[in-house]
Amino acid sequence: MGPLTSVNAAPTECSSLSPNAPIWQDILAQAMTGELLAAMNYRSLSEICDDPAEVADALEHSLGEQGHAAAFAAEGRKIGVDVNNNVDAKHWKRLREAFLHCIAERDFIACLIVQEIMLESFAVASYSRVGKVAPGSLGKTFARIAAEEEDHVDHAMAILRAERALDRQRFDDKVYRLHLDVMTTLAQMLAKECKDGHCEVCHHTCVKPSLFDVSLSAAELRGASLQQYLKTLDMLGMPGEVTLRWVTQLPV
Amino acid sequence: MGHSVASLAAVTVMRSERTSDVDFALIGHQESWRAAADVVAVLRGPERTPLPDDEIKDILPWIPPRAVCHVDVGSISCTKSEGTDAHGLYIDSFIPPNRLEAAYVHENIARVRGAAACAIQAGAKIVSLGGFSSILIEGNFDQLPERHNTVFTTGNTLTVAFIVQGIRKMCAMEGRDLGRATLLIVGATGDVGSGCARCLAPLVRRVQLSARNVERLRRLAAELQADGVEVEIATDLRRFSAQADVGICAASLASPSLLLGRIAPDAIICDAGYPKNLSASAHMPEAKVFFGGLGQITGGLKFAPDFHGILNRHPFPDVVHGCLLEGMALALEGRFEPFSQGRGFISPDRVDEIEAIAARHGIYLAPLYNADGPVMGVHVQRWGRRPALPGTAARSDECH
Repeated sequence: MGPLTSVNAAPTECSSLSPNAPIWQDILAQAMTGELLAAMNYRSLSEICDDPAEVADALEHSLGEQGHAAAFAAEGRKIGVDVNNNVDAKHWKRLREAFLHCIAERDFIACLIVQEIMLESFAVASYSRVGKVAPGSLGKTFARIAAEEEDHVDHAMAILRAERALDRQRFDDKVYRLHLDVMTTLAQMLAKECKDGHCEVCHHTCVKPSLFDVSLSAAELRGASLQQYLKTLDMLGMPGEVTLRWVTQLPV
Repeated sequence: MGHSVASLAAVTVMRSERTSDVDFALIGHQESWRAAADVVAVLRGPERTPLPDDEIKDILPWIPPRAVCHVDVGSISCTKSEGTDAHGLYIDSFIPPNRLEAAYVHENIARVRGAAACAIQAGAKIVSLGGFSSILIEGNFDQLPERHNTVFTTGNTLTVAFIVQGIRKMCAMEGRDLGRATLLIVGATGDVGSGCARCLAPLVRRVQLSARNVERLRRLAAELQADGVEVEIATDLRRFSAQADVGICAASLASPSLLLGRIAPDAIICDAGYPKNLSASAHMPEAKVFFGGLGQITGGLKFAPDFHGILNRHPFPDVVHGCLLEGMALALEGRFEPFSQGRGFISPDRVDEIEAIAARHGIYLAPLYNADGPVMGVHVQRWGRRPALPGTAARSDECH
């Protein structure tokens, strides 16, 4: 595994930090960690692909995600903060382990479901919300990356729809099993309060209570993410009454 | 835990994908946060603690419109030519209860459109628009998504039928002569209000029509006057020359106190608005208020998962809003047609027709009740009959 987690250049000296800079710093840290995790996931995926075109595709995605992480780091430098990342933070680590379990089973479809349906729904929705309220180039970067992530999802949807058409029951059972694992972890990350201690990504105390200062809220990010997830499952053709039940059963 | 949920999901998936057997879809939403919380509690299942109210308020607005449960309705008709039951879906638009206002009309129409798309995708043959959905769409049918084999009905004709039946029943229970009454209709130019006016005007002494749009009021008044009905119109309730004996609120009043002094102290009042907000106890202790437009299914009603008493929150079993019942009745009849569409087309003949269809399948006027519970007329009270308790199997035999 290459040095995916080293995307920060030397911190920029900044004489006057905006009062909201520490909030953006934590938001960027979460986003950057997510992108680095995605880059690692795609690289792992390339290792189980048989088709050279799929290998190339996965590696291209990995590089793309790494580029996103670098873009977030650069945005941090622009506002005078050093953006940390921690792919071993407890929630992110569990998400990585869930993905690696799919890799161990050489289950390409499960990998796509975890990365493209679950993790990308979260990324697309939350980046879009942040993109609307973040100032200047910070907002533009979040909005641009949200749009690029959405393109990923479109690419995967065709493969997943075709797979579902082969055996709906089996496919839906697989999505449900992965949902219980991955979406439960994401729901805990997205809870309005971090009830089980520090997330190990925020640089000091939990950023969630401060999100109101930048016209965001943890509830909004969670709501938008779960809505995006439901809509993505709808696009796969999964029954809405079933996926609604799954989502309402997630921890809060 | 996982096993039971997965099994249920599997059954639901199988049913959902047999799209050809979706006879009807019902589009609705929750009227209160309490009702929304109860829906979410059923979805979470009994093994999970209900979500706190603040979480419900945070989560609900983000839920996209979608099917919530399967609905089976039975018919009392046993002839071979007619089906004995119909299968449908309840689709919630998830309009947040605090956004049932004009300020959110575009957002809410988008939600109803989303729910309509779900019904079309499920292959529903007929779709009834419940509650606020009906009000939003009655003048905006062109805003529904493109449909192929799915028809939509506002359900307003059966709502009118049950309002009219309720007024007649209440007058009989109270020993009132409808033929001598002055009838006030608030919200008279809407689809339901104008339908009630056409049905009841020939039966009363005088009609008072109130609405915001004076031009529409004039048109409706002219139509009724052409049939020899004595009609007064006003955009302001204070302008009417006399107090009414019978009132129908076909539009929700900003405040129930607006009726004070405009109706007789012991008037019969049908709250046919949405949401229903009239209460006799607060401002009009002598008034006989009942919730109108409700029907009761006697051939059986099943929800899967079981949302009994959650989606139909009434003090009597199997009571449903007339607008939703219209789609069910038409499905049982095998008449998949847009029975109620647009605004201002409800005639007494059409009301008779849908009433007969509903009755053929055991769908009748629901027992009358209001915010305080079941309504009893003076004749019933004299004999000391106790009202049925919520959830008990009381049947409205007297109205069959």
